[in-house]
Amino acid sequence: MTGISRRGFVQLSAAASLAASGPALAAPYQPLNPIEKGAKLQLLRWTGFINTDDAVWKKNTEAFTRATGVPVQIQELTWTDVQPKSALAAQIGSGPDIIMGWYDDPFIYPEKLVDVSDVCEHLGKTQGGWYPVAQTYGYDQNLKRWIAVPIGAPGAAVVYRESWIKQAGFDAIPKDYDNFLKLCRALKKTGHPIGLALGHAVGDANTWCYSLLWGFGGQPVDAENKVAINSKATHAALAYAKALYETMIPGTSSWLDPSNNQSFLAGKISLTINGISIWFVAKQQFPKIFPDTHNADLPIGPVGTPTVYNLFSQAFIFRYCRYPNAAKEYLRFMNEAAQVGPWVTAMTGYVTPALKGYAKLPVWTESPDITPYRDVLAGTHFDGWAGRPGRQAATALNNFVIVDMFADACVNGTSPQAAAATAEKRLKAIYG
Amino acid sequence: MNAGRIRLRQTLAFWGPLGLMLAFLLLPFYWMVLTAVKSRQELLNTPNPWWSFHPTFQHIVRLLTGTEYGRWFLNTLFVSTGATLLSVTCAFLAAFAITRLRFRGARVLSTMIFLCYIVPPTILFIPLASVLIDLGWFNHLWALIPIYGTFLIPFSTWLLIGFLRSIPRELEEAARVDGASWLRIMVRIILPLSVPGLISAIIFCFTLSWNEYLYALVYMFSSQNKTVSVGLITELVRGDVFQWGQLMAGALLGTLPVVLVYFFFVEYYVAGMSGALKE
Repeated sequence: MTGISRRGFVQLSAAASLAASGPALAAPYQPLNPIEKGAKLQLLRWTGFINTDDAVWKKNTEAFTRATGVPVQIQELTWTDVQPKSALAAQIGSGPDIIMGWYDDPFIYPEKLVDVSDVCEHLGKTQGGWYPVAQTYGYDQNLKRWIAVPIGAPGAAVVYRESWIKQAGFDAIPKDYDNFLKLCRALKKTGHPIGLALGHAVGDANTWCYSLLWGFGGQPVDAENKVAINSKATHAALAYAKALYETMIPGTSSWLDPSNNQSFLAGKISLTINGISIWFVAKQQFPKIFPDTHNADLPIGPVGTPTVYNLFSQAFIFRYCRYPNAAKEYLRFMNEAAQVGPWVTAMTGYVTPALKGYAKLPVWTESPDITPYRDVLAGTHFDGWAGRPGRQAATALNNFVIVDMFADACVNGTSPQAAAATAEKRLKAIYG
Repeated sequence: MNAGRIRLRQTLAFWGPLGLMLAFLLLPFYWMVLTAVKSRQELLNTPNPWWSFHPTFQHIVRLLTGTEYGRWFLNTLFVSTGATLLSVTCAFLAAFAITRLRFRGARVLSTMIFLCYIVPPTILFIPLASVLIDLGWFNHLWALIPIYGTFLIPFSTWLLIGFLRSIPRELEEAARVDGASWLRIMVRIILPLSVPGLISAIIFCFTLSWNEYLYALVYMFSSQNKTVSVGLITELVRGDVFQWGQLMAGALLGTLPVVLVYFFFVEYYVAGMSGALKE
């Protein structure tokens, strides 16, 4: 029988329609490294700060599975619970293949992580390069290789009520510390105090305390990782913080991460430092205060350059992972423009990507209130600056040494010198 | 002093401390109910934080329709019931052996069992994880049942040892004289008399399993294996945005099984804690 069969006709028709449907469908997916047969992955990530984050991340993951055939199981945890779970995985050599951690996590167990240099170099080349802080959080100077793929930072900016700022006699958030303090004093006088967390708020308290310390030129440790906290610059930062504390609403010494969000949305404070979540929630749920809610860059301290401290997330693959190529490919895929664009747009820029090329995304200029979050990584210092990220810096952060020092000076009335001396003692116990 | 004043003083002396104690104990529960029914605006700003002027069920509806709360609830029920049955059974057998079989070292053994309870889960969870990996039990919901036994069995055994000691020996000696085996004595004599003690052990085990967080968080990976305590925190705490209404609604619904268990068995529980039978 030489004629085409009915089944053959159907197959040909299907192939022809596929070819005609365009190059996107016709071109096979090209992974950076050959993906292992039968690969499947488990990802542990933090629950999105904004609900649209998780939904788009999941969609992108499904797109990866469609392209490569690799199923990915996602587990989400509250962001502060990721560290103990990744520590357990590192300790017992089993658990999720990929973990999206925070700050210094990969530097606590660098030798247990897969080399992701090829992925990071590829992404860096194709997406405009990494911000320096991202490189510090991903590249291990001792091992001379990338141990984590930087994801980005839920950045911090000044969130304020415009009408109250104007009522206090200011048109905008001042760019320097002196005028910023004047603004806060004026706000207090008009009955609209500011609010900054001084409790053990992992995100909010560390963010503003470290930023302020560095803004005055203070450092927990120097470039050699030697304790350098007890300096004149630190004393000046503490004296300034004490003055700032006097303009705050009572109770900030017990504030945790959600406290400033709640106080701001309740109209109890006029200004705070936070991610875009306050503005985002106001937009969704509080139409009365949303038009009056705006975001601005953090002021710059006497050092003259931005000294911002932000949360930072990166993804790493443990060596026990049976499918390292698939895991690396997943991280590459998720950091490509086709995925990052929709992801960042859906969460209105809550996470500022670690690659410079993504500063061009249209979402950043959709509203002038989103724009401050675009550039947060340009002026961000890494955890443990001016020393090195790693176990000691992570311990100092987890023990809230710097936050406690500020709380000591602001709340307990301890002199800046005494508060810095206590912090010095604690840091020496950590850094040796 | 007249009789009226004496009666007033007695009433105050009785109800005053009792009222304070009640207020202290019920306040968290009241706050939970209040937060679960407050509107979004009231949660943030209200002239009177102790009352809801515009109560709403929106948080409960969102919890039940927008999350997998039902699944978490059933998971918790499955694990708590399984862990309770396993632990109370093991604990009863152990307590019976220690109190009735009179073997050498029984007292030391009972003390050692209690000491096991003192080891905190935060120390135990890493070595236990290695064991689970070797057994291939990681991320299996049922694996939580034997895991919870590690802290439930020691305390339940210690609790039941105290209770079984209060059952008069004459009863089992009479049964022995009549030719009853140890198994028969345990099932027919000791077990029926131990009901109050067993119920207090059941309540204890069920409550602890229901509220357990660390092991359920660390050893389970999949979303479908979450328990109520883990599910609420991981899904409703989004960075610095806490869904207080839904969190409290979830906590409120989550306490109901424990409340029901206490409601029906509280008398047995008290009897079990104090030892129901005296020689």
